[in-house]
Amino acid sequence: MRVILKTRPRAKPKIPIEAETIIPQNFLRKNDIRVYEGNKERKLEDLFYVTTEGPAVSPDQVEVILTGDTGVIKRVGEYMNAGRIIVEGDIGMHCGNFMSAGEIIIRGNADSWLGREMRGGVIRCEGDAGHYCAAGYRGEKRGMRGGMVEVLGNAGDFAAEYLSGGEVHIHGNCADLPGVEMRGGTLTIGGDCLRPCGNMTGGTCRIFGTAHQFLPTFRRNGSEVAEYGGKRYRMAVYRGDIANRGKGTVLIRE
Amino acid sequence: MKVEDVVCPFCGCLCDDLVVEVENNRVTSVENGCTLANEKLMEDHRLKNPIRRERGSWKDVSYDAAIQETAEILLDADRPLLYGWSGTHGEAQSVGVHLAELLGAVIDNTSTVCHGPSILAIQEVGHPGCTLGQVKNRADVIVYWGANPIDAHPRHMSRYTTYADGFFVKDAFKERKVIVIDVRKTESSAVANEFVKVDQGGDYAVLSALRAIVRGKGDLIPVKVAGVTREQLFRVADICKNAKFGAIFFGLGLTMSPGKNKNIRNAIELTEELNRHTKFTISPMRGHWNVYGSNEVFTWISGYPYAVDFARGIAFYNPGETTSVDILRRGECDACLVVASDPGAHFPRACAEHLARIPTVQIDPHVNATTHLATLQIPVAVTGIDAEGTAYRMDGVPIRTRKLYEGTYPSDLEILGKIYARVKEAKGS
Ligand code: SF4
Repeated sequence: MRVILKTRPRAKPKIPIEAETIIPQNFLRKNDIRVYEGNKERKLEDLFYVTTEGPAVSPDQVEVILTGDTGVIKRVGEYMNAGRIIVEGDIGMHCGNFMSAGEIIIRGNADSWLGREMRGGVIRCEGDAGHYCAAGYRGEKRGMRGGMVEVLGNAGDFAAEYLSGGEVHIHGNCADLPGVEMRGGTLTIGGDCLRPCGNMTGGTCRIFGTAHQFLPTFRRNGSEVAEYGGKRYRMAVYRGDIANRGKGTVLIRE
Repeated sequence: MKVEDVVCPFCGCLCDDLVVEVENNRVTSVENGCTLANEKLMEDHRLKNPIRRERGSWKDVSYDAAIQETAEILLDADRPLLYGWSGTHGEAQSVGVHLAELLGAVIDNTSTVCHGPSILAIQEVGHPGCTLGQVKNRADVIVYWGANPIDAHPRHMSRYTTYADGFFVKDAFKERKVIVIDVRKTESSAVANEFVKVDQGGDYAVLSALRAIVRGKGDLIPVKVAGVTREQLFRVADICKNAKFGAIFFGLGLTMSPGKNKNIRNAIELTEELNRHTKFTISPMRGHWNVYGSNEVFTWISGYPYAVDFARGIAFYNPGETTSVDILRRGECDACLVVASDPGAHFPRACAEHLARIPTVQIDPHVNATTHLATLQIPVAVTGIDAEGTAYRMDGVPIRTRKLYEGTYPSDLEILGKIYARVKEAKGS
């Protein structure tokens, strides 16, 4: 089944839409799907032109396609556990919160908290991701725990904060403190970053660009060779963050 | 008439030893106050009555009309924002939170532009803090990090730290060591025993280095960290480890520089590390008068200290998303009520521009930068001068303020109470 959701013009287009109900399983039984526009509850049809094509007997046969002014829609794919969501443009905050299976593809940019505390599944963002990509909620001790987040562009500050499991791959640059408080999983940064892995206690971070202002509290622990994008690179290996009795590993291209 | 033990209505120190002279409903002299207190208490530039902007000019309106219009603006909005709250008393803040819940609004206080990151860090790792009385009586090492108390909290040093003799610190000026850590020399660094000059944005690295040194891993530290020499880092770590009781006070130089809440978390974890050697505490230098109280009141009622979004009927909190600056910068909100603060003076330009585009109502005694963005302003009494109520000092101690005279202005509590009643009536709840 394919469900196409095209945004309708709105009088106040900057008011965010909260749409955690936009997940494949909800379209299977043609539930009365509700979303919020600011503090007003709306029917899905009030804010979207909805087109449904073909049948499905299980959620993994459902593909939801979002088009139009989608950059202000938050929480799409929250708790998703099957199927696929394709966003033709940008997507708002919290896309793929807590998702455990399925696939989200974003053709544009994703706002902050992409894949927050994700447990499984795959998110692929073809543009840039905002701050706290694949991170945790405020005060939460564990961020992303499983699955894969891939960003073809750049990511903002605090990418993979509290990363505990799974894989995060930022092809471009990361801003400040990627992998901060990281405790497990793998973070790969194809470009440059600033102050990576502060306070990390576990996991592995690989940086194939330049790590600016690398913190003084990591201990050099030899070198090794890593493969990235079909090429092999010699990497400096560090252990830390010693300030936090950390046992994480950071590999930085030499 | 002389009034003693007056609580200063300006900064988070809430000095409660002021003596003021009142004549004809005006404060005519202030003893014991700093310059900021004198200005605040003796000012004479109140807005006389509510005003509404009509076709580019201001028209006087009655309190009743202004209250009714405010209620209608808020009821019409799909994403109203209620911002400010730090300059008023807890009782008014409480009505504000209930109003936000009734409206499905976002309510936020000035923590969003000051110590919001400190709160985030405290939520991650806790707060090894203490009252200012403990600092005064016990601390022999004081660290000011990214704070300049002589300018921002002028009596902090004389009442609680550098110059304040305490029960166990009989001759404070000689017995206390003061360390100032900042990106530039300040008036406060001039009176410090040790000034540590950190490169802009280098605080996180310096904190990490100090943590490593304190826990015996100093061999890792290079000759310089963010502009600070290895020798000085070791010296500072030694002073702190050898303290009988140490207290770190940090300001916006740490909360609002790169790293933000992670700087504070690192500072708290340094404090924890120092507690393996001696007694050490850490506290934010809260600036706006009752901003601590707004965090307390918001938390009692909603569970969260600032940036609380009631749009879905339940409280949701996510600084960066539900904070005023972010909401305004994204152009999300369609009406704003500003109470006891001045976002026009403090917020980025894009936020101020959005405030000017939407209906913005300000409840404030004075004409300020926000007035120029507002559509309606309702003047009120000043808490601690002609209104009374409870406020919290920067260390979390609640202090009751009194009226110095019976004025003619209604209090924030009265105005907000009436707006709440109108909204409640319109909603039929
Ligand atoms: S230090 Fe702050 S509270 Fe004390 S008198 Fe000055 S402005 Fe008022």
